[in-house]
Amino acid sequence: MKRKQRTEILTAGAPDLAAALAGDIIGRYQVDLIEEPNHGLVMVKVRETAQQSLFYLGEVLVTECKVRTNGAIGIGIVKGDQPELAYNLAVIDAAYTAELDETAAWTAALLAEHERIQTVRNSEHMQVLKTRVDFETMDTD
Amino acid sequence: MGYVAVKGGTRAIEESLKRLQFERLQSGKVIEVEAISSGMRGLVDQVMSESSLYSEELAALAIKQAEGNPEEAVFLLRAYRSTLPRKHYSRTVHSAEMRVERRISASFKDIPGGQVLGASTDYSHRLLDFDLLEETTASATAWLEQYLGMEELDQEAFAQEGRFPKVLDYLRKEGLIADCSVDSTEPDDVTRTSLTFPATRSEKLQILTRGQTGAVTSLAYAVIRGYGMVHPTVGELRVGELPVYIDSPLTQNTDEDEAYYIGEIKVTEVEMLVPATVEKENGRKELELDFGYGLCYGQNETKAIAMSILDKSLEKGDKSIPTQNEEFVLFHIDSVESTGFISHLKMPHYVTFQAKLNDVRKTRKQSTEKEG
Repeated sequence: MKRKQRTEILTAGAPDLAAALAGDIIGRYQVDLIEEPNHGLVMVKVRETAQQSLFYLGEVLVTECKVRTNGAIGIGIVKGDQPELAYNLAVIDAAYTAELDETAAWTAALLAEHERIQTVRNSEHMQVLKTRVDFETMDTD
Repeated sequence: MGYVAVKGGTRAIEESLKRLQFERLQSGKVIEVEAISSGMRGLVDQVMSESSLYSEELAALAIKQAEGNPEEAVFLLRAYRSTLPRKHYSRTVHSAEMRVERRISASFKDIPGGQVLGASTDYSHRLLDFDLLEETTASATAWLEQYLGMEELDQEAFAQEGRFPKVLDYLRKEGLIADCSVDSTEPDDVTRTSLTFPATRSEKLQILTRGQTGAVTSLAYAVIRGYGMVHPTVGELRVGELPVYIDSPLTQNTDEDEAYYIGEIKVTEVEMLVPATVEKENGRKELELDFGYGLCYGQNETKAIAMSILDKSLEKGDKSIPTQNEEFVLFHIDSVESTGFISHLKMPHYVTFQAKLNDVRKTRKQSTEKEG
């Protein structure tokens, strides 16, 4: 699974899943901590729609962590103060980069979590859609 | 009379800080940071936007420390932000990817996807709700259970996943708004280089989005009241969550699928329509629709609307009109700069003031001598 999709699932999903997947690696391989979970900033670049130009909206507080396992470096980076999740994401990222066998078995769990996130989001969205205005045009004669 | 530097305020300052702590704690109640971040959404959003730092938790902490004073909370966050390393720049964020929670248009009644009011005070009665005096966690939980367990929901929504087409794309397709080419010039950053004039568009928008809500709103109000613009209309206002991604810092790979997702940020976006007369060939005049742009952290609708008005106003650039004068607008709307300068006036100015007093005495003396 590509990094974009799996980081979306692991970041937006239940933290238990990231902890469980990282646990598969930590128990079997040596995981070296290159950079402890620490705080930093990500500057957000946006495209405005009036003239299609770019500008900086502001910064986002993130927690970032780097680890090495099986010769591959993994990065975990997530919005807010979430040291455990950042560490787990880094371990998972390293496992994918190192193409460890365990990662193949994770796809099903990730896709199941993806389904769950979608269900929750759809349900939230439907609640929002209750506020959609149903216009009635009045007679004008 | 000679001037000397003085010292001796250390103990008084220490006691003053204790007094500040006393004021915050004297009732014996402690407000939890979590209670602020969950119950004071409007203030948290305002503080995040003005400090230009997205973190609900830190904003709530700053609000607690500042006893709810937004200018002090913004100062605290800006100071904290300056201690953190900027590790990455995001991939370009597009507002079309927003998971929309609210989306309205004041220009068009029938828009694709419909007018979705979301959470808004616009149609509330503004009557003080005295029931809130008695609100408990149990009553809140009961209300939530009832609200979330209500009748079956519109299945059509499943297909949408919270994404809505942009209202103004339709005007672009009809040719009523000029289509412009994509400009991928890297933005300037006012936090890294000092502002010089004329400012670039990226600098203007960055300063507007982190401007003090009240200042941005007041200047935009001045624009409409008579300092340079006819009545604008909101083409689209949307509030929702934008996903943020960064490219891998370890490789040169800019493949979107290999990007890291770091989370979502809540923003308010406004596309404001402004009618403008354009002179064509042979002096023929044609009415066109221009549009101004506003985008800021959190649900800050008045600020985003005001930003879009000032964006358009600054584009006109007539320096004789204050709200079209970049220097007038951009140098005066930052919370830390304006409140910092105004409040510094109460700090000791003993030496400079004594010098002024001396001047006053001298001129008095000279005029008395002349009269004599």
